Formats: sequence, C-alpha cells, structure tokens
Amino acid sequence: MTRIETQDVTGALKGLACVAMALLLAACAGGRTEPAPIDHRGVDAEVRTPAKAESAGVQVYPLKNPAVAELTSQASQAEQGGNYDQAAILLERALRIQPRDPELLQQMAEVQVQKQDYAQALSFATRSFDIGPRVGEICARNWRTIGLAREQLGDNSGAREATGRADQCMVTKPQGL
Amino acid sequence: MAKKKTTRSKKTTGTKRTPTRKRSPGKKRSAKKSSPGKLARLFRWLLLAAGLGLGLLIPWTLWLNHVVVAEFEGRKWDLPSRVYARPLSLYSGLRLSPGALQRELESAGYRRVDNPDAPGEYSGSGGQFDIFRRAFRFDDGPQEALRFRVSFSAGAVSALASPAGGGELGLIRLDPAEIASIYPLHDEDRSLVALGDVPELLVTGLQAVEDRQFKHHHGVDPRGIARAMWANLRAGEAVQGGSTLTQQLVKNFYLSNERTLPRKINEALMALLLELHYDKADILEAYLNEVFLGQQGNHAIHGFARGSEYYFGQPLETLAPHQVALLVGMVRGASYYNPRRNPERAKARRDRVLDTFAETGLLTADQAAQWQAKPLDITDTPGFGRNRYAAFVDLVRDQLQRDYREEDLRSEGLRIFTTLAPAAQAAAEDAVSRGLDDLADRGLPEDLQGALVLADVDSGEVRAVVGDRHPGRRGFNRALNARRQVGSVIKPLVYLLALEHPEAYSWLTRIEDEPISLVQPDGSRWTPSNYDNRSHGEVSLLEALTRSYNQATVRLGMQIGVNHLVTRLQRLGIEHDVPAVPSTFLGAVELTPMEVTQLYQSIAAGGYSVPLRAVTAVQTPAGETLNRYPLRLTPQARRDAIAVLNYGLTRVVTDGTASALPGLVGSEGMAGKTGTTNERRDSWFVGYTRDLVGVAWVGLDDNRPAGVTGANAAMRVWAGLFRQLPVEPVSFDLPEGASWRWVDPVANALSEEGCSGAVQMPFVAGSEPETAVSCGNRREPEEEKSFWRKWFDKD
Repeated sequence: MTRIETQDVTGALKGLACVAMALLLAACAGGRTEPAPIDHRGVDAEVRTPAKAESAGVQVYPLKNPAVAELTSQASQAEQGGNYDQAAILLERALRIQPRDPELLQQMAEVQVQKQDYAQALSFATRSFDIGPRVGEICARNWRTIGLAREQLGDNSGAREATGRADQCMVTKPQGL
Repeated sequence: MAKKKTTRSKKTTGTKRTPTRKRSPGKKRSAKKSSPGKLARLFRWLLLAAGLGLGLLIPWTLWLNHVVVAEFEGRKWDLPSRVYARPLSLYSGLRLSPGALQRELESAGYRRVDNPDAPGEYSGSGGQFDIFRRAFRFDDGPQEALRFRVSFSAGAVSALASPAGGGELGLIRLDPAEIASIYPLHDEDRSLVALGDVPELLVTGLQAVEDRQFKHHHGVDPRGIARAMWANLRAGEAVQGGSTLTQQLVKNFYLSNERTLPRKINEALMALLLELHYDKADILEAYLNEVFLGQQGNHAIHGFARGSEYYFGQPLETLAPHQVALLVGMVRGASYYNPRRNPERAKARRDRVLDTFAETGLLTADQAAQWQAKPLDITDTPGFGRNRYAAFVDLVRDQLQRDYREEDLRSEGLRIFTTLAPAAQAAAEDAVSRGLDDLADRGLPEDLQGALVLADVDSGEVRAVVGDRHPGRRGFNRALNARRQVGSVIKPLVYLLALEHPEAYSWLTRIEDEPISLVQPDGSRWTPSNYDNRSHGEVSLLEALTRSYNQATVRLGMQIGVNHLVTRLQRLGIEHDVPAVPSTFLGAVELTPMEVTQLYQSIAAGGYSVPLRAVTAVQTPAGETLNRYPLRLTPQARRDAIAVLNYGLTRVVTDGTASALPGLVGSEGMAGKTGTTNERRDSWFVGYTRDLVGVAWVGLDDNRPAGVTGANAAMRVWAGLFRQLPVEPVSFDLPEGASWRWVDPVANALSEEGCSGAVQMPFVAGSEPETAVSCGNRREPEEEKSFWRKWFDKD
C-alpha cells in the first residue's frame, strides 16, 4: 500500500540544510518554558515545513482512495481559509471512509492544533504514529504535533522527548515494518 | 408550549403508549366531548327559546367561541424534530451489495421507476442503478440534486458516473432517510407534517375534491352546499358533501358524526368562529394532521403523514400522484375505502379522484389515465411509521436528554442527524427475530428474548439497535436497559491486565487450571468449576482464554487483583458500581448490551476509546448548528497490550469457543468472545471485524435458566447479522512496543520462520520468551500437544 521515493542528491542536500535549521529551531522551542500563543507560529511553520525538510530523503505516500482525496482537498481548502471547524467535519467524513489512514489522522491532528484542541491533536497524532509508517515525513509531522500539543498542555519534558523522536524519524529503522 | 402540551395530554384518550389518539369520528365520545354534548342539549333548549328572543344567541356564540379557541390552541401541534439516518456515502471500492443499496434507497423513500427524471427516483437493480438524488441541507452545508449512475461488481461499487457527461465522480452522498419525527422531551408518537412539506398535489387536490371554495369562504360555503344537494338529488344518493374543510375539521375536533340539524348549525357556527381566529394555512395544516384515515388495532390513523406510512410505508413527501389520490379519496370514508380490505372499491374511488384532478387541471387527462392504469401500490403489511426505528430512537432520545440543554430541545422543528444505517438495522432486526425462531426450532424456549447492538469500531457511531425479538413492538428496550450478568465476556479484560505486565506475562505464560476455593467477602466459599467440569492442568494464557477456562482465569485474576479489574471497567465507561469480589473475574457483573459494546469498542479500535454516539449533530430549522458530537479519541495507556489481546481474541474464533463462527458467517478474520452465565440463563457474544463491533444477548426476561450458551444462541444471532454485512478482517496494526515473533508455543521459546512448530504471534516488548529453540529441537508435552497441533495444522 505504500511506495517509497528517493529524491535526487541536490534535493537531499537542500534538505540537509533545512534539517540543520529545523534542529536549531527545535532546540529553541525545547528551551522555552512558556509556550508561545499558537497563532503566531501555526501548523505550517511548526509541523509541516520542518517535517518536509527533514524527510527530504525518504517519502512514504499511502495511496489514497479518490473519495478520501476529494474530502481531504476540500478540508485543506477550508483549513487555508481559516475555517477549521469545517475542515474537521470534512476530515471526519474522510475518516469514516478510511478510519486508519495515517495521513488523514495526522491531518486531523494538525486541524485540532489550529482549533487549539491540543488534547485531541495529541490523540490523533498518536494514533497516526501507532498505525503509520513510523518513518519519513509523516512520522516527523506526528512527533512535531505531539511535541507541540504536549508543550501546550504543559508537559515540557514530554515535548522535548517528542522533538528528539521527530529527528529520529529519518535515521531510525522503524519497528514492525 | 408547556400549557399546550398539558391541554393535549388531557385530551388523549388512549394509553400513554397509544401512537395516535383513539378517535374515530362519530363512534366514540370521549370524556372531553361531554361538554359539547351538554352544550348540544343546551342548544336544543336555546332553539325553543329562540322564539322568545334571538338575542340569546349572542352568549351562546361567545361560549362556542371560547370552546373553539381553547380546543384549537390545545391541538395546534408544534413542529416536531426530524430525525435523520446517517447519509450513505458512495464511492468506488465501497463494499456494498446491490440489495443493501436498494434497501437504503427504499428507506430514504426513493421510488423505483423506469427512467428517473425527478429527484427521489431510481431505476435499475443488480449491477447498475441510475439514481436521481434529492437536494438536501446537511449539517455541513447544502447539497444539490444530482442524477448519477452507480455500477457494482463483486460486492462492491465499481464506478460512479454522471450519465450526462459520463464523467467519473469521486464521492456521492445520498440524502439521508428520515427515520422519525419526535418531540425530544416528550414521549409523543405521531407523524406530523408542516404545510410546506405536504406535496402540492395533495394540498390542491384535497381542495378540488372536498372544498373548492376553501380559499374564499369564511368557514361555510352556501354555494357548495347547494351544489352538493343538487348533485345528490341528480344521483339519487349522497355523492357529494357540502361541508367545507373547516367544518370537517370542526366535526373531527369537537363533535360527533351525528347528523342532526342542531349539530349542523353548531358545526357551522364553530367553523365560522375558527375562520375568524385563524388563517387558512393554520386550519389547513391542522386538517392535514387530524384527518381520520383508518384504524390499526385500537389505534386510529390520523393525518396524511401517518396515513402515508401506514398504507405506503413511505414518507408523505415521496408519494406519487396515484397514491396522493387514494389518500384524498379516503377522506370520504376511511373504512369504506380501506385499500387493504376493499381494494376494488378503493381503486374505483382513487380513479374518480384522479378524474377530478384532471377536470380541475391539476393533472392532464393523459397523466390521469396513466396513473389510473397503476395498481394501488400499497404495502402488504401496515407500515411501521414512527415505530419503525423505535429502539434506535430510544437511544437518540437518551443521548439528547443527557447532553443537550432542555431549552435547546424545546425549539420547534429541530433537525437531528444520527448514525443509524437503515440497511444494517434491517439486517439486525432480521438476525434477532429469525435467529430466535431458529433457536426455538432447535429446542430452546419459545419465549427467548434478544438484543443486538452494532457500532462502528473507529468512530463509535451506533449503526443498529434491536431491543426486542419483535422489532416493531415498543416497550422494554433490552439493548439499552436490560442489565444482565455478562459471564465470560468479561475475561479478556483480565488477560489484558496481565498482558500489561510484560515482565510477567505473555500469551505463552503458563497458568494452572486446577480447582480453586476462595473465601468471598461475605464469608462464603466460592469454588468455580469449568464449563466441562474438568480441570486442564498447566495451560498457557492463550489456551485459557480461547477455551474460556474458569479456574485458570480466576487464578490469573487473583494474581492481578480484583480492584484493578473494577478500576479498569470504570475507566472504560461503566458508570455504576461493580462488586470487587473474585466472581467478577468470571463476569458476575450486570451490564447492558450497550455497555458491553462500549467496553469492546476500545479493544477493537486498538485502545482508542470513543463514546458510543447515536447523534452527530443537532440543528435549528434555520440551519444553525446547536451542538455537534465530533469524533474524539481517548488513547488507553497500554495499546501494545491491547494489540496483543486482539490477537488472542482472533484465536478464540479460529481455535476456541467460537470456532463455529467462520462457518456460520461465511468469512474469516473475525475476533470475539462468548459468554454464558450460571445455569445457562444468559448467552452473550461480542465480536468484531476491522470496521464493526457487534454485541448480541439472548435470554429470558424473568432470568429463568434458558438452556443457552454463548456459542449456541447469541453467537448464532450475531452470525445472522454479520452474514449480511461486509466483513473486513481484523487488522493488526501493532503499535510501538509490540512486535511479531516466531515462537515455539509448546516449548515457550523463540524460534524462527520455517522451523517446524514455529508460529508467529505478537508480544509486548519484554514479554518474549527468554530462551530459543533451534529448528527441530522441540519439546512436546503430550497433554498440550493436541491444542498446539491444531494450530500447526492450520498454519
């Protein structure tokens, strides 16, 4: 159900630079005691962009059902338009069709971050990781979301642990694959 | 509103559960009617006195006025809330049988035609359907009407296309079936309809047949009376009535059918007064909901909406012209023209009404002739109407009353979106009633009762509820309210608590299945025995679970501590007290089928609990969302142990007490657990596939021994349901901390793939066997051999 793509070398090099940046940023984030309000940072900056950069070498794309693809693209539009409730409703519909799609679960987790429902963000990201590839971009997004949510929920040591796990998504051989 | 309700309930002459008020015009005079009766006598006296002075008419009219207003206000119905099933989403790859699609369409009131050219129609069967979807306002926005084609192959949707351009469509959501209209705060039982939702042809056609001057008269229509008298004279019989709709309503509301002059005058006066106070729309709406259309046992069928359900088994909005004509025709005499008892008479009446529709230009002559060529199209058996989904609606009511503010539920005309799957509900009802009939044929008691709950594993959405072997019967809802001992259905939680301690337990850990005697808190001794009255010596935990050994389970439980079990039950959603005694390990705890479903949802979903939901959203009539129940996950702590437990529960089905299940269902890949209680009083089966979890209970209402076991009764009912559903095998998404290992289960040692005797099973990290055997170097104690041998042969 999954296929793995390897990007060319220049892409990977660019990726490495970004990883270094991301690690610096992550270190800063780890040192904070008071979490910054989320609207100043956002899911794109905190989760998606660094995860994409870190995972430039290895990508895992679950093949998607067209009905789910239709709903997720509508959800992304709703999310970009700031309509997070609508995005969550659309993702819930997609999850009724594919309840155990790690990508969908992670997207839902990110929408929950936008909705500032960190407990649910944590739940969905954890579930995505539980049944996901535990490697590559989605793994990095799982742990970045978990880290963010834990931080917002006041679990600073858990958040630091999550940052470390996000970095490992690229290097550790995943269990159970 | 509260006042209105009080007035109404006082007037209800039936029992509390009577679905409609028992009032056939003219036959019965309820207590409330005694006041018009007295008035009538008074009126006769007044007629005498009229010679002395017409002026006395004024106080009389004032009195009638008071009666009319009080009565009409009491009967004006608020708009009920509409309850919708979950909408069916179609997409390529969806596992759905053509028969199930057809059932879904029928429950949503779709009409089968040759060429669907209007919303609400469909054609086709088997491999291909053309469907004209209706427009619908969902809780997440409106959706247009759309004609499309759905093709099937191999039990799944293979393509969705719009026939116009022929383009592929990704996802189509059908408008949902309307499953009930309810007053969330009251146990009313009515099917009501707002004027705006009544088909145009019914509204105009009714006036064409019964009262052409309705829009213009003031309650009484002298020209109509004259015309009727003339027509009746010419025909030599009463072919036309001169009563306006208002008069008919008055008669239905306040008076008997007696045909005396004073009564006629009273009726006319009251009609005039009614028109004075209320506008035409109010009067017409009251008429449409009040008109008498038949008798079902001792319940009167009032109103066109209920009539439509009763005769056609479909919502009023979906009726075709010939069906509308039949209902309009029946106004003249619901018993005389009863289409089930007097079909020929009813058809003649219907055809005459269709002629009238043509004469008045509501239909063309051609159309009328076309519809006249149709049969009556009534259902053979009376439609359930509101009762159709009563067991599920009980759950909707519970959930609404628990979670919504009372003032929200007071609003009129709420739109309630639920999770019911009509085709699955029909399958579940069939599984219970047919399953229990079969059990009676096999020698079990005739009066066995049953309950069944079906829910979606990952979302917790309840798809079907059956609370009685006769699904149409209202009364005790066993799925929600019958608290019964659960027996061995509890055992998996004991094993889960063990697996959560990987340093001490894995599926291969040995435990003694030997007699055990314990002192209960009340000082009595408790010596549990096994189902086969034997002890099995040293067995593995896996064998003890799959074979449901009591002595081994109690020993394991005592190692873990009963308090842990009680705490876990509470954490998984059991809200009432559970006794902390050793017999709880064997299920001496009373739970409802719904509670058992909640317990197992979390296990089936790999440790992500969601509260079971029947309602997803509630909207005001204007489309403002009052509240929503979104999907909310609560991860359980040891999901690694839950994944390992899931494996054990699949082994119950392949090698244990439920090994007959795959044969009964005709599919593989299910997980589950049987449960039987002392003296065979209760039979339980809990089972799940990747997508669905179902709980079946069978027993006797008075808790007598029933001769049932988990496998001989409830499992058969469960199988009767899942045989009709798509079965996707349980998947093992092992989370971090659990992994598959090749082991030699007999030696309780690690092995390797390909070695003889090696099987693969999941372990929580740290629970794996510490020693390894080399290929071919195995130990096989004789007493355990047969059990493992069975596995090897399978694997």
